[in-house]
Amino acid sequence: MISKILKKYSIGNFYYPIKSDAEGILIKSDLIIEIVQKLKEDKDLLFDQLVDITATDNLQSEAISTNDRFTIIYTFLSLINNKRFFIFTNVSEDNPTIESITKIFESANWYERECYDLFGINFKNHPSLQRIMNDYNFNGHPLRKDFPLTGYEEVRYDDNLKRVVYEPVDLKQEFRDFDNESPWEGIKDIISEELKK
Amino acid sequence: MSEIFKPVTLNFGPQHPAAHGVLRLLVQLDGEVVNKAEPHIGLLHRGTEKLIEYKTYTQAIPYFDRLDYVSPMCQEHAFALSVENLLNIKAPIRAQYIRVMFAEVTRILNHLLNIPAFAMDIGAATPMLWAFEEREKMLEFHEAVSGARFHAAYFRPGGVHQDLPDGLTEKMQLYFKNFPKFIDTLEELLTENRIFKQRSVDIGILPKVEAINLGCSGPVLRASGVAWDLRKSQPYDVYSEIDFRIPVGKTGDTYDRYLVRMEEMRESVKIILQCIEKIPKGPVMIEDNKITPPRRSEMKNSMEAIIHYFKLFTEGYRVPTGITYVPVEAPKGEFGPILISDGSSKPYRCKLRVPGFAHLQALHFLSKGHQLADIPAILGSLDIVFGEVDR
Repeated sequence: MISKILKKYSIGNFYYPIKSDAEGILIKSDLIIEIVQKLKEDKDLLFDQLVDITATDNLQSEAISTNDRFTIIYTFLSLINNKRFFIFTNVSEDNPTIESITKIFESANWYERECYDLFGINFKNHPSLQRIMNDYNFNGHPLRKDFPLTGYEEVRYDDNLKRVVYEPVDLKQEFRDFDNESPWEGIKDIISEELKK
Repeated sequence: MSEIFKPVTLNFGPQHPAAHGVLRLLVQLDGEVVNKAEPHIGLLHRGTEKLIEYKTYTQAIPYFDRLDYVSPMCQEHAFALSVENLLNIKAPIRAQYIRVMFAEVTRILNHLLNIPAFAMDIGAATPMLWAFEEREKMLEFHEAVSGARFHAAYFRPGGVHQDLPDGLTEKMQLYFKNFPKFIDTLEELLTENRIFKQRSVDIGILPKVEAINLGCSGPVLRASGVAWDLRKSQPYDVYSEIDFRIPVGKTGDTYDRYLVRMEEMRESVKIILQCIEKIPKGPVMIEDNKITPPRRSEMKNSMEAIIHYFKLFTEGYRVPTGITYVPVEAPKGEFGPILISDGSSKPYRCKLRVPGFAHLQALHFLSKGHQLADIPAILGSLDIVFGEVDR
């Protein structure tokens, strides 16, 4: 229903199918302002709340074959129609830039800052695009898949210098990442069918 | 004149008792009046989202306890529902009742921390002492089912970890029948208290339109007069079979937020008592050893059971590909993980949508034009816990 109204903007589907009770479309990143405006104001849509903005890094996923490096996920909620809606849009690794929607939804401010901090996506015309989660002088964007879990720097309080010092991470034990995945096929839809019996 | 009275920038926190944890607030003051309040967060950032990407679905559950550490079970609930949604399974009815029951116990626990902490911020010390005694009694129910007072890891995808111990429902029934009396005594201390009202009525008014636009949810949104509760509008588990009402505020000031939480506790008591009456007998976990571990006794005799056990706690279970967002009405508002599965036994991406993040963002709007001393009152009424804001 909702997707029908916005069908002309759709450029295919996000690699991962939506399983929960919501609809979603994949759009071109430069149309974001226009579509979000429409979502909020169109009489048949009336998505009045922005629930979340996040991104995902497709680097280690099969999604990279059809999508760009990053997919930004906008989640909307209509309190009037009791509906949820996703907008997916791709941005490339070389130029991860998209227009900010803070003018339409005030709450986008921090969500976009978070996205910038953790993924390094630039939001054009954002009022103050600074880091929000990480340290003031942090380097890198931790939720990118090529950022190691242990990070690059560690901090401690130095009793001689009487201040906190930053040092390269020195692990006393290697990070243990076991590959326990069985090479056999995982369970698919069999479970639900068995349970129905 | 303007040269003498320059606006002062004050650094509030990160170690301040009224900041409810590690909030650093840069407040620009014109005399006593707040021009601008800019929260600096991230001091409790632990990278939960990144850590979850490296853990199996079972190992990810305890991280949810540690987000909003005063309402642990509601967050496990959201994760369990999301994974169940991806796996296309449903927990058995008894498990659903247990979950609803304990989600409500958690809600009362959360409000019983928030209300007295808020009262303490604006000068009342007694409610804190009283509420903590009751909290301790309720935490015993948490302990009885899960073995832990806070970090329960009790709700699992597919049900709950263990059945209720014998005699617990009777104990809970007895306790929660008397609990409204405690709410009454707490209300006697606060609701008509002159000092309390002077500090909270008409402070930090959040109009309806702004509340929606700023992304508020839960009691904050309801206090602004929006009748929106996910337990009613998008019911999960057995909430649709339970009779309860949604308290809604009128003005959206800090006092209304307090009143809404008070009423919510009474409704939660009703839900718990109904659950105790309606709860059927039966399994508490789906009996599919591809997802849930086999029973201990089975493992002593069956080779297959022990293989299942081993595979479940090393590899974990694989979850079909997909993206899902199944939020729950956590005590603070809409909480849910945006979960992307790539078909392996670890989540590919798990974004945690937390209510506190949006509420803290609204702080600037709420405190502008108020006095500095109102900031703790507004902060207290927003129910901020940094475990979930910073993740």
